[in-house]
Amino acid sequence: MIICQGLGKDFKHYQKTAGFVGSLKSFFHRSYERRAAVHNFDLEIQHGEMVGLLGPNGAGKTTLMKMFSGIIVPSHGKLQVLGHVPFEREHGFRKKIALVMGQKSQLWWDIPAMDSFLLLQKYYEIDNRDFKKRLGELSALLGVERQLQVHVRKLSLGERMKMELMACLLHRPEILFLDEPTIGLDVVAQRNIRDFIAQYQAQYKTTVILTSHYMADVEALCQRIVLVLGGTKRFDGPIREFSNILGREKFVSVTFSESIADPTSFWATFDPQWNESRTRVDLRVPEAELRSSAVAILQRFPVAEFSMEKLPIERVMNALLANPQLLKGAE
Amino acid sequence: MASAQLAKWWATIRISWNKQLSYKLNFLLLVIGPSVVFFFVKYSLWTAIFRLEGIGKIQGYDLSNMLRYQIWSLIVALVAQGYNSMNLAEDIRMGRISAYLVYPFDFWSFQTAGFISFQGLQLVTVSVTLLFMFGLGFLQHLHVPDLLSGLAFSLVVSFFWYQVSYLIGLAAFWLEETWVLRVMFITISQFFSGAILPLEVYPKYLLNILAWTPFPYLTYTPVKIFMGEYSGSLSQAWITLLAWMVVVGLLNRLVWQRGLRLYTAAGM
Repeated sequence: MIICQGLGKDFKHYQKTAGFVGSLKSFFHRSYERRAAVHNFDLEIQHGEMVGLLGPNGAGKTTLMKMFSGIIVPSHGKLQVLGHVPFEREHGFRKKIALVMGQKSQLWWDIPAMDSFLLLQKYYEIDNRDFKKRLGELSALLGVERQLQVHVRKLSLGERMKMELMACLLHRPEILFLDEPTIGLDVVAQRNIRDFIAQYQAQYKTTVILTSHYMADVEALCQRIVLVLGGTKRFDGPIREFSNILGREKFVSVTFSESIADPTSFWATFDPQWNESRTRVDLRVPEAELRSSAVAILQRFPVAEFSMEKLPIERVMNALLANPQLLKGAE
Repeated sequence: MASAQLAKWWATIRISWNKQLSYKLNFLLLVIGPSVVFFFVKYSLWTAIFRLEGIGKIQGYDLSNMLRYQIWSLIVALVAQGYNSMNLAEDIRMGRISAYLVYPFDFWSFQTAGFISFQGLQLVTVSVTLLFMFGLGFLQHLHVPDLLSGLAFSLVVSFFWYQVSYLIGLAAFWLEETWVLRVMFITISQFFSGAILPLEVYPKYLLNILAWTPFPYLTYTPVKIFMGEYSGSLSQAWITLLAWMVVVGLLNRLVWQRGLRLYTAAGM
């Protein structure tokens, strides 16, 4: 489905010191810097997979999405998506993919979403019967039947994102690129969108490539994670193995009946995250030490609640971003 | 296959109409605006020049002829230069063309269908303006074959203008701001196209040089065709303009292919 080898993208920027003098200097002489947004990237994605591209801002996730969907041209390396070279942008290729950009609306702002859908029906050459059937299915699944005739600018952010998804799915793409599809949405709207994507993917086995800053999206949807840091791939594997990068650890959450003032070295090895009032702490505890540590905590501190679970992906990400050297073993 | 392509063009034209008609007051102002502007600016200006200064004729134009020239130049401007694709530069700079690169309908086709749609509505404005001017008695000597010939020529000029503004818009792949280029081109072309003054006022040698450029065909030629007074070779006018359209069309293709390699899809 997607095969890339040694894929890279460089961007050229000019540097300018702040202020008027800087502007004047840069008018006569500009020093350019070439930065590799993506570097030597190898990836293979199979039909029907749901893959989460993870990484902080500027890591290169979106640049990868742009290259996969044919919007920008790679600087080097090989890339094939569905047997096409994306940047050649053949119509056959464009009919098989869809791209949802959470930060950019693809619908026409001044007209109802239905008008945009009718236009897309023509663009993707969908016959009337299929169009009506898909429109009915999607709008029912997303619960937006009554909003189809409303001007897009009058829709709430959540409703608009549902319409964006509909616009991208009417032609039944083989690959769906989702770039931050839940950005800016409230928790309920995020969950609705997530549930819809999961349901749709289960039904049609569409290949989905997702980037999101909300780890809950990735955890709920993706079986496979690709971690991108500094434009390179640092982890590629099943989501259940992601937390193992940090060693076999559990996430332990302890609530105390009173504030714990003493920041003793007892906690230091567990990467403690305290709340403001120091009545609750989240810890990463190695599985081998779980039993002894739990006993020690319960004996030494006024524990009101004690819970443990698998390490949340968000916590793993935070730990990796703070200590990238932890990734050495994962590469 | 061809019918599917045609359906895409037609659907794009229709959605552009929907978009432009969604703001009723704005559309109404667009339709009556040119007539209002004519009276407040051009009519007052030229009446003042001729009457207050006691001038009888300027280079063979008396007041009534000059007003006719100005009305037809307004009509040509409406048909030929009404479309403003300046947004293209901003869309490229802000990364807003990304969605159109994914749709199976070429970006050029999408933009051009938008232009055709705009021209369809612009013809409504032109008709209203013409009726208005005719009703007020400024265009008593209206000759229908000249009107049709002038309209046909102006529509071709409009496509040339569209191509040029598209080309200037594409410069945004390289430049952060393109409005200077646009203003420069508009200013130069207004001066050499006869949009400000009839070209008869320029020296003969300059007119000979200009005949090889697209400029005189952008305003002066269609205005004179409308007035039934075009004395030059009409076939030369058509050939020169069409040749320039081919040149700009090829440049557009080349610049798009090169420029797209630099596109960063910012903000996504």
